[in-house]
Parts: sequence; C-alpha cells; structure tokens
Amino acid sequence: MTAAHSALGHSAPGQPAPGHPALDEHPPPGQPGLGQQSLIRTLPGSAYTDVPVFAAEQERIFERSWTCVALAADLAAPGAFRTVTVGRESVVLVRGRDGVVRAFLNVCRHRGARLCTEESGQLRRNLQCPYHAWTYDLAGKLVAAPNLTSMPDVGRDEYGLLAVHLREWLGYVWICLAPEPPSFEEDVLGEVVTRLGDITAIESYGIEHLALGRRITYDVAANWKLIVENFMECYHCATIHPELTEVLPEFADGYAAQYYVGHGAEFGADIAGFTVDGSAGAERLPGVSADQDRRYYAITIKPQVFVNLVPDHVIVHRMTPLAPDRTVVECDWLFARDVVAAGRDLGPSVELFHRVNAQDFAACERTQPAMSSRAYRDGGVLVPSEHHIGQFHSWVAERLA
Amino acid sequence: MIHVCALAELPRGTARRLPLSPPVSVFHTEDGELYAIDDTCTHQDASLADGWLEGCEVECPLHAAIFDLRTGEPDGLLAREPVRTHRVVVEADAVYVVLAGHDALEAAS
Repeated sequence: MTAAHSALGHSAPGQPAPGHPALDEHPPPGQPGLGQQSLIRTLPGSAYTDVPVFAAEQERIFERSWTCVALAADLAAPGAFRTVTVGRESVVLVRGRDGVVRAFLNVCRHRGARLCTEESGQLRRNLQCPYHAWTYDLAGKLVAAPNLTSMPDVGRDEYGLLAVHLREWLGYVWICLAPEPPSFEEDVLGEVVTRLGDITAIESYGIEHLALGRRITYDVAANWKLIVENFMECYHCATIHPELTEVLPEFADGYAAQYYVGHGAEFGADIAGFTVDGSAGAERLPGVSADQDRRYYAITIKPQVFVNLVPDHVIVHRMTPLAPDRTVVECDWLFARDVVAAGRDLGPSVELFHRVNAQDFAACERTQPAMSSRAYRDGGVLVPSEHHIGQFHSWVAERLA
Repeated sequence: MIHVCALAELPRGTARRLPLSPPVSVFHTEDGELYAIDDTCTHQDASLADGWLEGCEVECPLHAAIFDLRTGEPDGLLAREPVRTHRVVVEADAVYVVLAGHDALEAAS
C-alpha cells in the first residue's frame, strides 16, 4: 500500500543488504542494474506459515523492538487503561493519578491470572486481580491483598507489577518489552531521519497536537511480513489503487519516486486535496512548510508502524501480528483539533486511504493461502522495483539469526 | 492513651495503622477531622488504612466495602458487621488514641 511504497522503499538507502542492489545507484525504473539479474528470490513460503518461524519473530522482533501500541489520548484521564498484545505478551497501559502513562505485564504476581481482560476501560481505584483480589495502584505497587497485613515480609514494591519500558512520541505510546531496550533515537527516530532526511520534517506536522478523526481496525488474514512488503512497493499501485494513483500520478510508475531522501509524491495538477475524489480536504496544518504542501510522505518504522503525512492530516497504521496468518491493523486518521471538534465532514479524506487499505489487505489475503502451496515452496521473485524488499528480508533474517 | 505520631506526620488524606491486636487505624480527613477505627475490614482480612479515604468514609481496598469513620457502620453491601470506633486525642501537636472501652477505665482509675 501507499504508505510504504514511499515508506520503506524510500527509507531503504544506506547499507544495501547482501545480495541486493544499493538503492542510491538505482537503475531506471523497471530495468535491472548493470550485471544484475532482473529477478531475485523472496523468502520461501514457509516463512509466512510456519508456527516456529512466527514464534521466533514474536520473541526476537516484536518483544525486543520499540512498538507503537496506543494513542496517548486513548488514555484520557487517570485510571484509563488499555490492554495490548506485543509478541506473546499481554500488556496493560494505564494513566496514573499523576497523569503519567505506565505499562505493565498484564499478569498478577500472585498466581499469574490476567489482571485486565477488557480491551479498554476506566479503573475506579486500582488494578485488581479478579482471582484473589491482589490489588495494585496505578503505579504498579501492591497496595492490598487479603491477609497482606499479616504477611509483613511481603515487599509491596517487590511484588508490584512488572513494568515495561515506555516512551511517548508523536502523541503515541511506544513500549519495549526488552529488559534493555534498543535506542529509541536510533531505531524509531532514525527511521524518520532516513526517510525524510531530518527529524524536523515530521515535527512540522505537530502530530502530538492532532486529534483522532477516525479509527478503523482491519483484521487481516495474512502474515505481517506480507503487509510490510506490500507497503514497500508500488509495483501494484496502478493495478489495485485507481483512486490513489489519480491523486498521486507518479505512483502509477511503480516507483513512487521513493529513492530520494525527503521526497514526497506530488499531488496531480487537478487535485485539490488528499481525498477520494480529489476535492479539497481541511486546511493545511499550521507547521507544514510550502515545500511539504501538496505532497504525500510516508515512513515505515519497523517492525509495525506506517506513518503517512499529507498537508491537512496524518494517517498512522499500527500492526499487531496474532498468528502466522493473522494480523490486526489499526489505522488512525488524525486531523487538527478544531477540524475534529467542529464535526467537519472527514469522509472524503478518510475514504481515500480506507480504500487503499482495503485494496492492499485484500491483496495480502489473496496471497496468504498460496504461501503453503507447492508452487511457492521456494518462494517467488522480486522485480527490480521491488528489490529493496530484500533489505527487509535481510533485516528479519538478522534478527532471527 | 496510646501515642500514634506527631500530628505533622499524619497529613490530611492519610491514615496511620497501629499494629495492635486487633490493629487500629487513625484517619486524618481532607476536612481536618481525626478518626480512629479498627483497621480490619469485617468482610475479608484487609487493612482499611490502605483503602480510599473520602469525606468521613473509608472504602476497603479489596472489595469496596465502605465504613463510616464516625460510627464504624458499614454500607451493608458486603460488610455487615461494623468496626469499633476509638477516640482520638490531640495534645501538644501529638496524636493519641483512647481505645473503645478504655474511657471508663481511665475515668475510674
């Protein structure tokens, strides 16, 4: 899908993966470089279906990376909570009485019952295990339990909930389950710098000040890597995204001009806004510069976030892999607060990328069943405009090694 | 009289638990009142000092049974039995408790 056409593909500069061409010296669209083969191999089909492969990805990629799990505004007031899945773990996010959002493994320290079983809600007082009523305050400390006062040797911090590393950025909550998390600056901000050339290029959209205009959750019957790969290439754009290529004509070339750091795909001459019918959207966000106007930028933050920037709104995709053949994608459309508060019609803006999402996920779901076919035992092939997907495959392979 | 602590050590909105048998807790309400009651919830063994102090009531941290600090009476939903109330004395910026039943003894002595 679009996001990634310009996203990962664009963020690919830097060290080419072994056996893959450097994108900086890319050949003209559609032609292999000198001495290069037109077609290179994809991963084998089993990489998209095997349970052990998926378990290794959960453990070594999703449980060790920074992942974006909620909009901070989803946790509006003290006591607001959400449960999210990261890798094989359930995590509860809760806003404390001090206004700080914290993340804990969603497991009672007593006998291991899951603390919060609801997806979201408002806690009245504390986090309490529904099994034996071990009770934790919103900062995770054990504050009460039946007979606790007769067990003075039980440390209330020692038996508090296990905290997970957390950062807030772009108005989103990012967590990392690793005891020693990787550098947020390198792994998350770094992806933005690689793609846009400069962190200020995303800051100008003031994403943390935007409001949620619409959220659509897609339950996709496909492996998460198929979704990333789809985001990375635009070879399919002219075939499955008629509305999008109408708005961004250069996407029809299959390359999306994604090889240049900081390049955004330009709107067509007769396009007024990033909408399904090319009609005008909302006003340009106040910080968006003149050279960012009338352009679409996209960033992929591996392993599970896609950020799409257009002059009047921002679209953020967050993926949660649940099984080798099942991935939930939450897509947020963020607009200026006054635009949302005024109840403006966001329909034409939301509809454009909703269609792109539906088209992309249908393509991924069409592909998933074939991953276990004899025809795909050794995988398929990547054409030159898709060769940079090989870098993503290398990135995955390095983490599973 | 049992010495609890200096008044300054018991800010408004907090409680102090005395490990007596049975344990007793002293509550300092947001309005500046001081009350003492038996610390153990009569529904299940939990410390009311760890509960939520709101007005003249304390809510048990385990199952939200509510006791009136002035009378010791429960709200009756989960806890049916009241807790004992005790008298609080402040002298020279120190907080003391006179346990229920001890007023008469002290007066007699």
